[in-house]
Amino acid sequence: MHIIDINNASKSYGAARALENVDLSLKGGSVHALMGENGAGKSTLIKLLSGIVSADELSLAINDTQVPLRNTDDARQAGFQFIHQELDIVPHLSVAENIYLSAPYPRRLGGLIDWRTLKQRAREALLRLGVDHIDLRVQAARLSTGDQMLMRIASSLLRSETETESLLYVFDEPTAALSDEEAEKLFSVISSLKSHGAAVLYVSHRMNEVMRICDEVTVLRDGRKVLTSPISEIDSDGLILAMTGRDLTSTHPARNSRPSENVICDVKGLTTRHVRKISFDLHKGEILGISGVANSGQSELLQALFGLEPHTGGSILINGKPAPQSAHEAWGRGIGYVPRERRSEALMLKQPILRNVVLSQIGLYASALGVMRAKAERAHCSELVKKVGLKFQSLEQPVYQLSGGNQQKVVFARAISITPKLLFLDEPTRGVDVGAKYEIYALLRQLTETGCSIIMNSTDLPELVGMCDRILIMHEGRQSEIVDAEGLETADLLARFYLSPSEEKLAS
Amino acid sequence: MIRFLKLYGTLVGFVLICVFFAIQLPETFLTPRNLINISQQISMLAVVAFAMTLVMVMNDFDLSVGSMASLAGVVAAVIFAAGYPVSLGIAAALAVGILGGLFNGFLVSIIGILPFVATLGTLTMFSGFAFLISGGKTIFGRDIPKDFSGFARGGISLEELGMAGLKLPYLTLMMIGALVLVWFVLEQTSFGRRLYAIGGNYEAARLAGIRVKRIRLAAFGLTGFGAAVAGLMYASRVASANPTQGSGLMLDAIAAVFLGMTMSEEGEPRVLYTLIGVLILGVLDNGLTQLSVDSYIREILVGAIVISAVAFSSITKQRRG
Repeated sequence: MHIIDINNASKSYGAARALENVDLSLKGGSVHALMGENGAGKSTLIKLLSGIVSADELSLAINDTQVPLRNTDDARQAGFQFIHQELDIVPHLSVAENIYLSAPYPRRLGGLIDWRTLKQRAREALLRLGVDHIDLRVQAARLSTGDQMLMRIASSLLRSETETESLLYVFDEPTAALSDEEAEKLFSVISSLKSHGAAVLYVSHRMNEVMRICDEVTVLRDGRKVLTSPISEIDSDGLILAMTGRDLTSTHPARNSRPSENVICDVKGLTTRHVRKISFDLHKGEILGISGVANSGQSELLQALFGLEPHTGGSILINGKPAPQSAHEAWGRGIGYVPRERRSEALMLKQPILRNVVLSQIGLYASALGVMRAKAERAHCSELVKKVGLKFQSLEQPVYQLSGGNQQKVVFARAISITPKLLFLDEPTRGVDVGAKYEIYALLRQLTETGCSIIMNSTDLPELVGMCDRILIMHEGRQSEIVDAEGLETADLLARFYLSPSEEKLAS
Repeated sequence: MIRFLKLYGTLVGFVLICVFFAIQLPETFLTPRNLINISQQISMLAVVAFAMTLVMVMNDFDLSVGSMASLAGVVAAVIFAAGYPVSLGIAAALAVGILGGLFNGFLVSIIGILPFVATLGTLTMFSGFAFLISGGKTIFGRDIPKDFSGFARGGISLEELGMAGLKLPYLTLMMIGALVLVWFVLEQTSFGRRLYAIGGNYEAARLAGIRVKRIRLAAFGLTGFGAAVAGLMYASRVASANPTQGSGLMLDAIAAVFLGMTMSEEGEPRVLYTLIGVLILGVLDNGLTQLSVDSYIREILVGAIVISAVAFSSITKQRRG
């Protein structure tokens, strides 16, 4: 089995040291986890490995032979494969063509594409992963995110037949966008890569995944390596301590108050294009979770409640009034929204923190004629970013310079700028590190204590059980049940995802 | 140093152009008379470019500004020719500008047609209306009231500043007024901030509660208004109106905004930078004309300079980090 040694990896951006003398040793046939808070240097290290960013200092040796790593071509030559969160696929091409995206197409008759061989080899690549449920002819856009990821991995196996063998697979938060079912498939694929002898570097915030599928773990903090250890010799508390440098005894802040009896949101038989017959009530100060197998209509339900999607049946009453007709009306009525995709749906990445935070309240800082009052705006913004615990240099700093967790805090600062009565959160802690997660949870608790009610869609089971009062489980666009979160086991919750509403009725 | 060039490369280029002409034309270029002359020459283009900045802030653009300027001039002139007072002609022209702009906004924002296609269509329509109303002819001097054409010839005397016989033209003052107004709207009002938010991320702006459709509609309306103002300035200056006189404005206005965008760190249009873009085009035109450079060669040079400025800026900005 081969050994890949990375030594002295260092990178500075101006005066900021992103990575300092990090050593990493990766073995073939072994899964190595890379952990750390956002901004700890994980992404920088991956960028250096992939050759996208050139290192200030770095030496790479494969089986004790020095190998150059100056650009993306070198990384490819070395046999490194990168599976990113944002997948590099061409949505309108077929699965087979996507698998062949960076490999030369097989030819016949001096130039014509040999489609039969192409499909045959693409199928073989998928089969090597043990995947046989993906149709090669459909457009890649029609696959689920999980299947797209499997397709991407298959394309690297294809390449190994023609070019360099793939020695190392780097997965950057692969399960962030996957359902549990899809994640399971990915794990079995990773174990088959492992058995083919490849080394795997696995970047994730999810503790239980790391504990389950990894053999070794390295933790980065503030650009330095703080720990490398076999997984069997460390537990999750030890990892959290290493990542944060502080002891988080509980990952979820305790409840100090109970929801009141006042109903703030009353939904009866809500039906839209995507969801059917949803009924629940939400009390003042309550957190209601929405969950289920991925794409069961959770996000669409939130959108309907927020006024982005008209309903064709049933009723929504929020504070006794019908649901808002638009996002504008919703914010005006004290209803905030944290969308699922912070980069594409929530942030103006190139614009300053200040402008992003105050956006939903901008009218408040303007005179009757619309002239901005800069001082009032800045003062309120400073207060808001302090409340969410944002780490930043100046309010004029563009948002893209912040880490993922801090970007999410900017979105939250906007959401609380209206002192909301009701908040809709869609995957509020996706791709957010442990420390920032805890701060967001604490903020949510604080909000509910002051009487704000929250509806939150999440696929993070510990988060649902730890934060919510009740959880509404959806199944294929329908409501299958509402369960009390207190005392619920995550395994029990997961099992309930797979009960369809009709089966549920038969069982009871 | 590199950071400086990245942001101020275009400004440095502008200074170099000025230095070049000052050396080549020592007698005439850097004289108060010539500088005032340049300010008057660029005033119409500047007003259109400032108005164009409003929509380009949202990542949209408006191809119809040139033919709107022609149409506004023709509308005013036809009303003058029919013997109505000057004020009515001006009011009608401005109303046409706002309505035409709102129509663009309606197509782009409410119906959802790409700005390129929508405003290409209205470009042709406005141009057709201008021909229809004028009967395809130029409406000449004797039909244009002195009150109207006199405006472009008038100005505030600069005798007190020791520049005998020189006037600060009203057209230049109009340009400065438009600059201050657009700067104020974009940088100091909540409306301007919403425009920038839409340009930064349309979907995020919508979900954050900005009334994106309404704001986009209004911005197009303002751009149409600006184009009509420029059309009136033009008609006053040449004391005539014909259905094609504004057609050169659109491309130059877009070029000026693009030149300006090269100076902004995040590539956003800013109206003060647009002014620099307009000045570059104006100075080049003025200097090359004085050097008797053939007008065809002038066009080639101006195109090459716009491309190289934008290319330089995108190359240096790619190397960020």
